[in-house]
Amino acid sequence: MDRVFWVECPECHKRYFCEYGIRFEDINLVCPFCKKEFKVDESPWIDDRG
Amino acid sequence: MAKDLSSFLSLVKEQGELKTVSKRIQPAKFEVTGLMENLNRAKKYPAVLFNAPDNVYGQPSGIRLVSNIFANRERCALAFDMKPEDCKMPLSLEYARREKLHTPTVQIKGPAPVQEVVSTGKDIDVGKLPIAIHHEMDFGPVLTMALCLRDPDTGTYDISFAKCFYKDKPDYMGVSIHTPHLQRILRKYTAMNKPAPIIAILGHHPAFYLGSLALIPFERDDYEAVGGFLGEPLRLAPSVTWGDDFMVPADAEVIIEGEILPGVKEIVDPFGEVTRHYQPQCIRQGMQVTAVTRRQEAIMEDIFAGHEGHWNLGAIPKEGSVYNVIKEKMGNVTGVCMPHSGIGRLVCYVSIKKINDGQAKQAATLALNESWTFQTVVVVDDYIDVFNEQDVIWAMNTMVDFKKDVTYIENIGRTVFTTAMGYSKLIIDATRPMDKPFPAMIKVPDDAVASMQPVEWLD
Repeated sequence: MDRVFWVECPECHKRYFCEYGIRFEDINLVCPFCKKEFKVDESPWIDDRG
Repeated sequence: MAKDLSSFLSLVKEQGELKTVSKRIQPAKFEVTGLMENLNRAKKYPAVLFNAPDNVYGQPSGIRLVSNIFANRERCALAFDMKPEDCKMPLSLEYARREKLHTPTVQIKGPAPVQEVVSTGKDIDVGKLPIAIHHEMDFGPVLTMALCLRDPDTGTYDISFAKCFYKDKPDYMGVSIHTPHLQRILRKYTAMNKPAPIIAILGHHPAFYLGSLALIPFERDDYEAVGGFLGEPLRLAPSVTWGDDFMVPADAEVIIEGEILPGVKEIVDPFGEVTRHYQPQCIRQGMQVTAVTRRQEAIMEDIFAGHEGHWNLGAIPKEGSVYNVIKEKMGNVTGVCMPHSGIGRLVCYVSIKKINDGQAKQAATLALNESWTFQTVVVVDDYIDVFNEQDVIWAMNTMVDFKKDVTYIENIGRTVFTTAMGYSKLIIDATRPMDKPFPAMIKVPDDAVASMQPVEWLD
């Protein structure tokens, strides 16, 4: 299966997951719960185990 | 009268299979899927017509919303004017028959029903539609019906289910195109660095949508194919945006016209998908909306993703095709079913009247080649009803020697589905072995069963 990684929204602290292909892209993720835009590195918690 | 969604809902109502909700309801606050989930947990699958759904802004939309059209096979049979009792293999075989038909389209004279109300320019606001949010981790309100692109080289149209994400903008949506044919067309526009004209078709007769899922060659025109499923030519009208250069289904309920912008990438997902897992957040396409057209009394349609209707849409179009390909090569296939436990896509049960032991795997490989979505194919004997999953699992538990009857194929094909098996496939031969003495399945004599009817004997 295509690899995914989990992030935590720095605003609402809810967790969701993303395609691994955007793990190191310079883009803003969008929290599905509160719509906060943030970079992957701003996530206070990341699970990207391969 | 041309076939459309309203005419079909009248038939469903006659069958007592249409429930209505007249109270005001907010699809963008999980109220549609909350109700549908309750019905689902009670194992009730009526079509549900919401007469007063709010739009994304929490205001009355003035557009009705229908869900669960495809949630049972009996209703899918009705879409092909078939009897409910023919909803299993006969339905799949009828699908396969219609798949071969070419029915030229017709251009209607006069105004198209789907263009009774037209919004362009600053009047466009997709947020005025009753778009549902389905599951709690979903990105937001999502349109779940079909998109259509036109091949810039051949001029043929391709229709596939794909999602449109509401992005808090009146004239712009995120789009997630992942089906092979739409991707192939989109790549052509990308190579030319040109916007790709695209429409979202949000409501039509169910035979239109079932037909759009046919496993037909890339070069064939889906509008013509759909006519074969409708049993009449698909009526087309010039689009508002591109005129005769892009025709639209005249009898649809709501159509969004737009352009996929070259080079523009948009964050979309998560979305609770057919697998019952969420699709991960990712980058896909963006669509600039150029027009929203609809009937005056439009009924917008939604799929309750990851549930029965979604699974039937995957299963019914493939079962007949698999049956026919095995029948053509081997002659002894008796049934094909893609069960809901395999989301109507991942698992295929095939029954054959086996002549020698190698035939089960031969049938399985034929099935595997027929659809890229298949992950596991289980082959059973002809006396097992493939639509009775308990019997299929019984065969797997009693007939299979896991050392020789299970074949694992690594790194074959690719699927968009997020399952742990990834790019591997599994074949399970659950037929009764012929290379050694083996017990027979228990059976009460047929004549005893026929003569001892409970209604005649029970007090």
